[in-house]
Amino acid sequence: MKKSMKHALVAAGLAAAATLAAPVAQAQVCSAWLVENSRFMNVPFGMFHPDRSFVQGSDNPRNNVNKVDLPVNVGVIKCGKELILYDNGWNWTDYHKATGTGHWSPLSKQITQLGFDAKDVSKVIVGHGHWDHAGSLDEFPNAILYIQREELKGIEWALNYPHPRISAVNDSPGGCNRTPACGYPSKTVASIYGKVLAGKAMIVDGDMDVMPGVKIHAAHRAHTAGSQLLEVNTPIGKLMFGSDAYSSWEAIRDWEVANIQQTDSVQQFLAYEKCYKVTGGYQNCVSAHEPLSYSDKYPITKNHWVGMNGGRLAEIALAPGEKSRKP
Amino acid sequence: MQTQVSGWERTAQVAVLKGFGVGALVVGLIALVAVAAVRETAKPKEQQVEVNSAFGGLTERPAMTAAEETYAQALWPIHALVKQNAVNMAFAGIAYKMGDIKRAGVKARVAPLTPTFDAALARVNKLQPPASMRELHQEYTDAIMLYRSSSVTMVKVADDGLDRHLIEAHGMSDKAAGLTLKVGDALWPGEYKPN
Repeated sequence: MKKSMKHALVAAGLAAAATLAAPVAQAQVCSAWLVENSRFMNVPFGMFHPDRSFVQGSDNPRNNVNKVDLPVNVGVIKCGKELILYDNGWNWTDYHKATGTGHWSPLSKQITQLGFDAKDVSKVIVGHGHWDHAGSLDEFPNAILYIQREELKGIEWALNYPHPRISAVNDSPGGCNRTPACGYPSKTVASIYGKVLAGKAMIVDGDMDVMPGVKIHAAHRAHTAGSQLLEVNTPIGKLMFGSDAYSSWEAIRDWEVANIQQTDSVQQFLAYEKCYKVTGGYQNCVSAHEPLSYSDKYPITKNHWVGMNGGRLAEIALAPGEKSRKP
Repeated sequence: MQTQVSGWERTAQVAVLKGFGVGALVVGLIALVAVAAVRETAKPKEQQVEVNSAFGGLTERPAMTAAEETYAQALWPIHALVKQNAVNMAFAGIAYKMGDIKRAGVKARVAPLTPTFDAALARVNKLQPPASMRELHQEYTDAIMLYRSSSVTMVKVADDGLDRHLIEAHGMSDKAAGLTLKVGDALWPGEYKPN
């Protein structure tokens, strides 16, 4: 009896220890890089970040910058054998002139500069479905696309709205006027559908643990109907990738709206708050279009270099045993 | 009154006249070159316009001619409906694959799109593209025909439930989307702003 009791106690103890140890054993520490897929040149600052609108003759540093260059940043995340992209830029070369784009290269080529192969990308998590963030899906045929159901529902709702002003994919040549179906060209939607059709899409409802150390946080209406953030555990602490909910890192720091499209400003602020809460501040919030990217002024991107066609890269964090990819 | 001139004097006068003539010719040529140079430098450069780009940023493009502008304006409302219906077609496929609608639902949503592509094609065929845009016009026509074929093919899933119809249709739609994107870039630069 004593012996069996002893065994039971040992078994219970082992079970308890295993339970306690399990989260530690499963905790994944990831490496992270940022890749500039392209750069929109000479953008009026105020169009992007209203509180920073240019005022002629002003000596206020917040209002004396007329135009800025906006990077299109893509997160490259390696967690063990998993290679994850957060957003994936775009690849329609026809559009370079129209959009004032510079320094573009195909993302699948750009990640070779980090030593990665497009066929090894296992997951593409899009912060939202706009064309400049979900426009290279065809370059990653093996990857599972993660997109919020709310994003798809939001587009479909707008498309079927009875008033043409609202249902238009865009209602005038040369711009969308931020109508709700704006930013989702047929090519982008066809690519998303292609992933669904190939059985390589994960339609996400709200928050989701992608794997230990990597978590999707829904941020609906923080930029579009189904925006989502990505929390990643790294040796420098948790990162929060935000796509266009985090269009501007300075806006997160200064608590200001930026890149208002199909955006509810309260939801954008709540998305900022999520980063503060999860990462402990604003330093580890990873922005999609921050003009200060790849400089000391945006510290998390300061370890940067210039790659193919002048596109920049930054090494954000390296997991134990992971080699630096910086030349 | 008539004056008499000696042979030497006549010879000298002829020489002076010849010299004057040659000089005048040289001066005239120089003037011609100068005028041409001035006209060339004063000639307006290729007309350029500023178009919307990223967040209202500006890039320069050659201006359209009046005929091109008219064509682009006439095609725009057709294009607006074509791309909307194209996106709707993709969403019918997404809804089906996500289990939100059944096979019959695909038919119910996609079959009505076929006549819209027919109507778009009829409208496009009535347009008279300027010579410089005939190739784009043909590409746009091809795109609509692809979308139409895609819709017809997609609906077949309602009969037998085979995904191959969806895959085939998706290939056509994807190609059509690429064509409309190309035409859109030429006719309506900045059609999609960075978002």
